[in-house]
Amino acid sequence: MMAAMADSLEANIDARAETREFGTWMVSEQKRVFLLCRRMLQDVGEADSATQDTFLKAWQALQRPETKNLDDPGKWLTRIAVNTCLDRLRSRRWQFWRKRPKAEDESAILNLAAATAPNAEDQLFARQIAQRLSRALKRLSLRQRAVFTLRHYEDRSLAEIAEILQLDVGTVKVHLFRATEKLREELHDLYFRDREENETHRTD
Amino acid sequence: MKHTEQTDFEKWLHERTQSLPEPEVSSEFLAAQRRSIYGQLGEPRRNWPSLRWALSLALLVCMLAGGLTLQRLKTARGVSPAISDDQLFSDLSAMEQRNEPKAIQPIHGLFQE
Repeated sequence: MMAAMADSLEANIDARAETREFGTWMVSEQKRVFLLCRRMLQDVGEADSATQDTFLKAWQALQRPETKNLDDPGKWLTRIAVNTCLDRLRSRRWQFWRKRPKAEDESAILNLAAATAPNAEDQLFARQIAQRLSRALKRLSLRQRAVFTLRHYEDRSLAEIAEILQLDVGTVKVHLFRATEKLREELHDLYFRDREENETHRTD
Repeated sequence: MKHTEQTDFEKWLHERTQSLPEPEVSSEFLAAQRRSIYGQLGEPRRNWPSLRWALSLALLVCMLAGGLTLQRLKTARGVSPAISDDQLFSDLSAMEQRNEPKAIQPIHGLFQE
């Protein structure tokens, strides 16, 4: 009787320690995962729910013995997050009646940080690029969007992206090339304006 | 030429996306999100994707069954069954050889001696 009670108490303590450890890891990864989901889904509410799903899936997977020794937990978590977002984007195709949240609701949740750019003009340009990029991202295919987000926002190498998406590097390159081509069409005016301004600064 | 342009653009895009100010997510929002996750950690997760598949499959089966029933009803009501030529001739000859209806028999009696 006493032995059973001690076992149960020990299990309880182990479970608590595990939850605490998971909690610490979650705090360190939460914002990155949320921003990744937000960039992929382009919707704060959905990104919130996808982030929660990601951590719950990770927690469940961590209960299994084969996931106890992960080489790179961050990369593993990124894979879960990307797959969760891709699933949501696929099912979103059927939800044509779905309403987008109001812009004011989004800004209530997310406060844009003060730009680190030195002057107002640069800040405005940065905001313009951010807006145009987010609009252009919606026009990419699901895989292109995932590859682009991981490459340019998460600054991951092609090999890492291939590992996360479980594709070969050649396929990742093709997706990235097509995504860049589409974005070049969308952002060519900003690109040329920026280039011209830089050249003018250089000649001055 | 096109490849160089593409590479230049990609480089510019990478620099620009990297220099974009990171959206600041409020700590209250993140804390609420964590609370929600902790709340769900102990709960058994419902397997929504498989449930969705099961529902879609059930709906498809219902639609197929409905379609089949409708088609059967249509054929039962509308088109008369087709008769082969042999059947038609045998029916005609049977009609010819059949005794005339009883109502006409008394008239025949008038002409009989």
